Amino acid sequence: MEGSLMNEKSSGNPGGFPLLRPSRIYSPEVIEDIQQKAEIGRYRIRAWSTLRRTPHLDDLTFVPCTLSRVPLEGYRETCETRTLLGARHGAKPIELRTPITIAGMSYGALSRNAKVALGTAATRVGISTTTGDGGMLDAEREASDQLVYQVLPSRYGFNPHHLRQANAAEIVIGQGAKPGTGGLLLESKVSETIAHQRTLPVGVDQRSPVRHPDFIGPDDLQIKIEEIREATEWKIPVYVKIGACRVGDDVKLAAKAGADVIVVDGMEGGTGASPEALLDHTGIPTLAAVCEAIAALREMRLEGEVNLVVCGGIRTGVDAAKALALGADAVSIGTAALIALNCNKPIYLEDYEKLGTQPGACHHCHTGGCPVGITTQNPELVKRLPVEEAAERVENFLNSMTMEIQMMARACGKSNVHDLEPEDLRALTIESALITGVPLAGMSTPLTIDAIADAIGSRLSFASNGSHRTEVAKQP
Amino acid sequence: MVPVEEATLVDCNGRSTREINELIRGAEGSVVVRNPLGRHCLGVAILKPLQVVFQGPVGWYCATMGDGLEAEIHGNCGWSVGQNLMSGSIVVRGHAGSSSGATIRGGTIRIDGNSGARTGISMKGGTLIVGGNVGYMSGFMMQTGTLVVCGDAADGIGDSMYEGRVFVGGSIASLGSDAVEAEVTEGDLAELAALNVEPSQSWTKLVAGRKLWNFSKKEFEVWKAAL
Repeated sequence: MEGSLMNEKSSGNPGGFPLLRPSRIYSPEVIEDIQQKAEIGRYRIRAWSTLRRTPHLDDLTFVPCTLSRVPLEGYRETCETRTLLGARHGAKPIELRTPITIAGMSYGALSRNAKVALGTAATRVGISTTTGDGGMLDAEREASDQLVYQVLPSRYGFNPHHLRQANAAEIVIGQGAKPGTGGLLLESKVSETIAHQRTLPVGVDQRSPVRHPDFIGPDDLQIKIEEIREATEWKIPVYVKIGACRVGDDVKLAAKAGADVIVVDGMEGGTGASPEALLDHTGIPTLAAVCEAIAALREMRLEGEVNLVVCGGIRTGVDAAKALALGADAVSIGTAALIALNCNKPIYLEDYEKLGTQPGACHHCHTGGCPVGITTQNPELVKRLPVEEAAERVENFLNSMTMEIQMMARACGKSNVHDLEPEDLRALTIESALITGVPLAGMSTPLTIDAIADAIGSRLSFASNGSHRTEVAKQP
Repeated sequence: MVPVEEATLVDCNGRSTREINELIRGAEGSVVVRNPLGRHCLGVAILKPLQVVFQGPVGWYCATMGDGLEAEIHGNCGWSVGQNLMSGSIVVRGHAGSSSGATIRGGTIRIDGNSGARTGISMKGGTLIVGGNVGYMSGFMMQTGTLVVCGDAADGIGDSMYEGRVFVGGSIASLGSDAVEAEVTEGDLAELAALNVEPSQSWTKLVAGRKLWNFSKKEFEVWKAAL
């Protein structure tokens, strides 16, 4: 018996090379995951965003002008990118020179140099940046011409003087990476400075609350927004940020509560630390979120009045252009900005190795050991990110995004990037066609469930009346 | 408090909340607010020394985010009174809704009557005194500061505290995750006496057990409940 089993083991190798037969259910990744949990006794924690493939903006393609539409000269004709956010209630709006913002990331998750570099780059490009859990860093305020101040459930470091210094306030209901769960900052990053800023003991695993301390539901939110407006004398816009889940309902509730700007963060959104289960198994993709959000605003006849900012996995100007075409007023970037800073750059390889990873696959921000000085509070590592050089890289990247957005708009015959529309797009997959309502490539009208049902129905009808069988029977 | 006749008078009747707050914020010394009639968001973000008396019940978010404000509310108040107070004092001559004194970072809030759920949630400093009882999950995720409850505490008092102290003068329905009893010291009693508070029965002191500060697989039962 043993001998025959041995023979069976070796016989599946007719070509002479090793033939491994890993399970698709208990794949090497699943085996590693179970064994890790058996060791650590808790859920796994990591940074970045979901590793899953989701229905994505990549599943859309632009259909630029040909004979039926006339393009603009791609390399030279004027194409407006200016964007105003938050004028709904008469506040001084955020003025973006290009429809991109830097998403909220905390000083704590990020190093001081990273925050200042992002602010510096945003200022040079003429866009806004955003604080995060832990409050406002003075140096970030100085570096950022337009700074959005987040009002988070934890209220770590929240200070009305800082609120008054802000150019907008953003009430964070949730984030795309882990909707329904609060922030996370592990002990290695809760340094003396960070602990002091957040009024926490040094070195605790900081697990932020998810519910706001002073309001709970949408009716309460309306009063909270009024409080923020009164505190800032109605001078600055109020944003509401939601993690993409029941986007249609949430956008309507936020708009009704009085938000000037709604930020919708899809499941591809990044984070400095999260239970992995939440990253991979909660929320809906940005592609779907933007469509649900704009449909909700249209239904309320508030499109254009309530501005829509979309984020979660926006990596390029092309992604941004597609989001604009689907109805967003602007996009927000986080992880992409960090990558521009130097995240995952193949330098200091030995330090990636110490974290058990390598450039191109590092998502170890939660460890506080960031080899390139971005997501760490270790002073020696932070030195690896000189502010000026880092800011220049982000500035260059933001400019490249703007050029890509303009390139797509001009090719589609638009002299303003906000004139991009769903008609400029085609879907490359059936699921993206169904999600977005954009016609599937090769079709001139939107693909709908009803259309599919009709097609299936007529085919069934065709089959049941015998014609089909007759056709088959005639074949030789 | 400054005598009423020397104060700026603000009548809420016929005025928007925005107008009322502009008048309060523009005043010097002391302000008397008449006919608040439960209106929300009055006296928000007063960032200078100013005495404000609300002559009647107020709604949500009264006297929030103050820095130097001394407020007195002659009536009941809605949720989140004094939220994120930086410094100064607030006195409520009545009962308060939920989330009273949420996230305060300094100053003193004194509520004569009862206060609802989540009283003193996420306190980051300061002193919050409740003459009566408090509702569910009061002191939740308190970071530091002092919460004094002269009466009874509902379920979950002091849940997931990081630091800080909770004194309860009456009965405790149940402790929250990781809240533990500690000895009431002579120093504590002197401090409580200085606050001019009396327990309905006797003082119990609660502090953080600190088991939730950092994850340990050896304490899974604690974490299972907490998470």
